[in-house]
Amino acid sequence: MSETVKLGQKVPEIELATYDPSTAKFGNFRLADQIDRRRWTILFFYPADFTFV
Amino acid sequence: MKMGCDVVTVSTDTQFVHLAWQNSEEELAEVRYPMAADPTGKVSRQFGVYDENSGLALRGTFIINPDGVLTNSEVNFYNLGRNIDELMRKFKANLYMSRKPAEVCPSKWKDEGDKTLVPSEELVGNVHEALVG
Repeated sequence: MSETVKLGQKVPEIELATYDPSTAKFGNFRLADQIDRRRWTILFFYPADFTFV
Repeated sequence: MKMGCDVVTVSTDTQFVHLAWQNSEEELAEVRYPMAADPTGKVSRQFGVYDENSGLALRGTFIINPDGVLTNSEVNFYNLGRNIDELMRKFKANLYMSRKPAEVCPSKWKDEGDKTLVPSEELVGNVHEALVG
């Protein structure tokens, strides 16, 4: 798995543990769920918690 | 975001750190989107934003459509924040064009109602007239 995702390509399945502030609970994010629910997704990467934008 | 889009933030911190940070930082009190954990860097590497030297993710934003296709990518180095208005503009443009696949959004397009272009043989060499006319 050395290829990075390219524009116009299907993104491979993503599954990540999450903290959801709206429920105050841990959960999971799965890209497959977004596709099932026909939702757009914006993935917003950033370096580190407790640091400064 | 209320337009059929879900924002998910990702860093290489664990979900426990996300909890602690969201609880303690006043700036994050209004956050209602899931905060994802990528401590192995697996997903960050898939998107080409993993920095092997630091173990941290660069400032990358990726828009994925409801078919799971990557439609936009923006990556900044650590020292430059991303502009949220620009992100909104790009998302709205993607949403609009998914409903109007024959149209494209030129550089000044900001919101629905702004001028778009329809690529065709007639448009070649005539973009100025199409935008101004």
